[in-house]
Amino acid sequence: MSKTPKQTGPRGKKNWLSPDFVRAMLAGHSALGLAFAALIYIVCLSGTLAVFVMEFQRWEQPDAPLVLEVPSEGALQKAAASAFATAKEKAEHPDLFIAWDGSRTPHFTIRVHDHESDFEREWLADGSGTLVEEINAPWSEFLARLHINLHIPQSYGLFIVGLTGVALLSSLISGVLSHPRIFRDAFAFRFGGSLRLQDADLHNRLGVWGLPFHVAVSLTGALLGLAVLIIGVLAMAAYEGDSEKAFAEILGPRAGENMEAAPLPDLAALMARVREDHPDAVFASADIEHAGTAGQMTHLSMGTPGHLAAANRYYFDGSGKLIGDGGLETGSIGQQILGALQAVHFGWFAGMPVKIVYGILGLALTIVTHTGVTIWLHRKREKGDPAPFWERVWSAVAWSQPLALAVSALVALSGAPGFILASYLAATAGSLGIGILSEGGKTGGRLLRLMGGAVLLAVVVLYIAKFGVQIHGDPMAWIVNSFLLGSGLALCLSGVSPLARRGVLAGSQRP
Amino acid sequence: MDVTAEAFLLLAAGIFSLRWAWLQKRGEGRGFVVGGWLAIVSSFYVFAHVFGGERGITFALLAFSIAGLLAVTATLQLRNKRSEPRDRAMEPEQRRTNWMRAIGKSLLAVVLAGAAAIGVGVAFAVAMPMPATDKMIIGGLMVPILWGGGMAWTLADSKLLRATAILLIICAVGYGIAFLPNFVS
Repeated sequence: MSKTPKQTGPRGKKNWLSPDFVRAMLAGHSALGLAFAALIYIVCLSGTLAVFVMEFQRWEQPDAPLVLEVPSEGALQKAAASAFATAKEKAEHPDLFIAWDGSRTPHFTIRVHDHESDFEREWLADGSGTLVEEINAPWSEFLARLHINLHIPQSYGLFIVGLTGVALLSSLISGVLSHPRIFRDAFAFRFGGSLRLQDADLHNRLGVWGLPFHVAVSLTGALLGLAVLIIGVLAMAAYEGDSEKAFAEILGPRAGENMEAAPLPDLAALMARVREDHPDAVFASADIEHAGTAGQMTHLSMGTPGHLAAANRYYFDGSGKLIGDGGLETGSIGQQILGALQAVHFGWFAGMPVKIVYGILGLALTIVTHTGVTIWLHRKREKGDPAPFWERVWSAVAWSQPLALAVSALVALSGAPGFILASYLAATAGSLGIGILSEGGKTGGRLLRLMGGAVLLAVVVLYIAKFGVQIHGDPMAWIVNSFLLGSGLALCLSGVSPLARRGVLAGSQRP
Repeated sequence: MDVTAEAFLLLAAGIFSLRWAWLQKRGEGRGFVVGGWLAIVSSFYVFAHVFGGERGITFALLAFSIAGLLAVTATLQLRNKRSEPRDRAMEPEQRRTNWMRAIGKSLLAVVLAGAAAIGVGVAFAVAMPMPATDKMIIGGLMVPILWGGGMAWTLADSKLLRATAILLIICAVGYGIAFLPNFVS
């Protein structure tokens, strides 16, 4: 901790933005932030956790096989053939998706899906290509869907999350423009004293230093969410209203109409063809549309070192002929941006160190969103116009989420996957009720933190009761359990600590 | 010393130079500001050299954020007083408002700014002489940036009619460029 930093006031030289402009921007920033606060908060918190969704999948299936080296060509072919044989019992023309990307997760997955019957199954295979068990990670799936579309029907949910990304991006723009001393205040962080100043410092420091990350995730998130809408309008303008045709332009060719039976593609031969041009290319995934037909189309993804994109896509027609590639690694600027979109949004491009940094910065963005509202509440209170109802509501919104997510995990572990969403919604609604009916935001917030912490501890206890102490199981189970245990204890302690009682912790208001 | 460690050291040195300079009185420590930025830019160059341009610059930006936040933590100032005169924060503009105006502003910021942004993005994707993927992706990326910028501007601008007129003109031009070829062909 340093000595009190020397600070200068606004005297002397003029700031680069006029006070009137700054005040107008601040008013817009405040209005936008308040309007979208709850949505941005939920999307940011779920997104922070979703960075680790593959680790949560491993936690939910601790006895699943771990494939630490890229599977052999024979293992890939065997897994594809086994999955295809199973799928053909239920589906006419299934699509096959085989994936292994060791930089993301050591799970070797095979999925089959049939568009006509909506038949879908997904397995985990071992290193030899034997399908060992079906994927059963309902809480991870719930978490991913919460972030991607808030469990609202797909296209509406995607649009709302995309719009939330736009609102966040807009808040970043207006936030920077309403901060005339952005550089000189870059290191000022005052804790204690005025709650408004404390939260403003936290808000501004986390917001400014994390700005490259905040802009990257909000921009990529908005684009991913709004893609269907943008492509829909573009299709009307240039593709005779055919969105699929427009999507095919960027996502690559689709399977042909010829549905005559044909052997599955020889993945070893396809990989050998790619390695003729790129000797260091490593398998990442194979997406076979209308598998086992003469018109089948294979998008084989293989990665070379040094790129943000996980891999480039190579397109092979039904005869196994290479007909092009997506250019995701070394193609044109648009192709490279397309390849990097998902990796940059989720931090899935350099293994666990980058995921941890994304986790920290994602949490920072969540705190920025939270303090944005508390600053407004503190300001009203300082001006003698407190909003106790909204103080209670916001405290309840903020602390409802750890509790609701913990409750949903508890339900998932209890073997009732059909009730995960219902339990999450019920816990959120119950938390809002507790928060609104409690005496002041401080009491409700503390209670919700205590409850959230207790439920997290219960999740760990139930997990150990269900899976036992698996010494030889996936070590990720222990890491995630330790994280849950630590988070649970931290939440409980924050609920009973003297700081929380005095209302110094963010989200707690002075009564 | 490992080149990556050198890059981290350069970044840390740059950030702590900026920290030292920006905590001084105005006009003091300018040399440290220049030196700090030079060290940061140099560290970005080293990151790009070691990891390649794509990943190197991305790693450098992430390291920059984390190092900056660590430096802020090192500047933590514990206080007991409620406030001091120099802590006065800028207040937002106080505006008289009503429901009609609030709804109007929301429609401007969400609907009209969105329509204008999509119009410009789609016009770019239709009309630019570039490969299809490039113009679609760049046009698509323009949409959230323009929409976000439009949202920030319309919510800050107190003159609703002016904002409405400008956004309508942008819509007309954008959709005109995007759809006109369909009508004339």
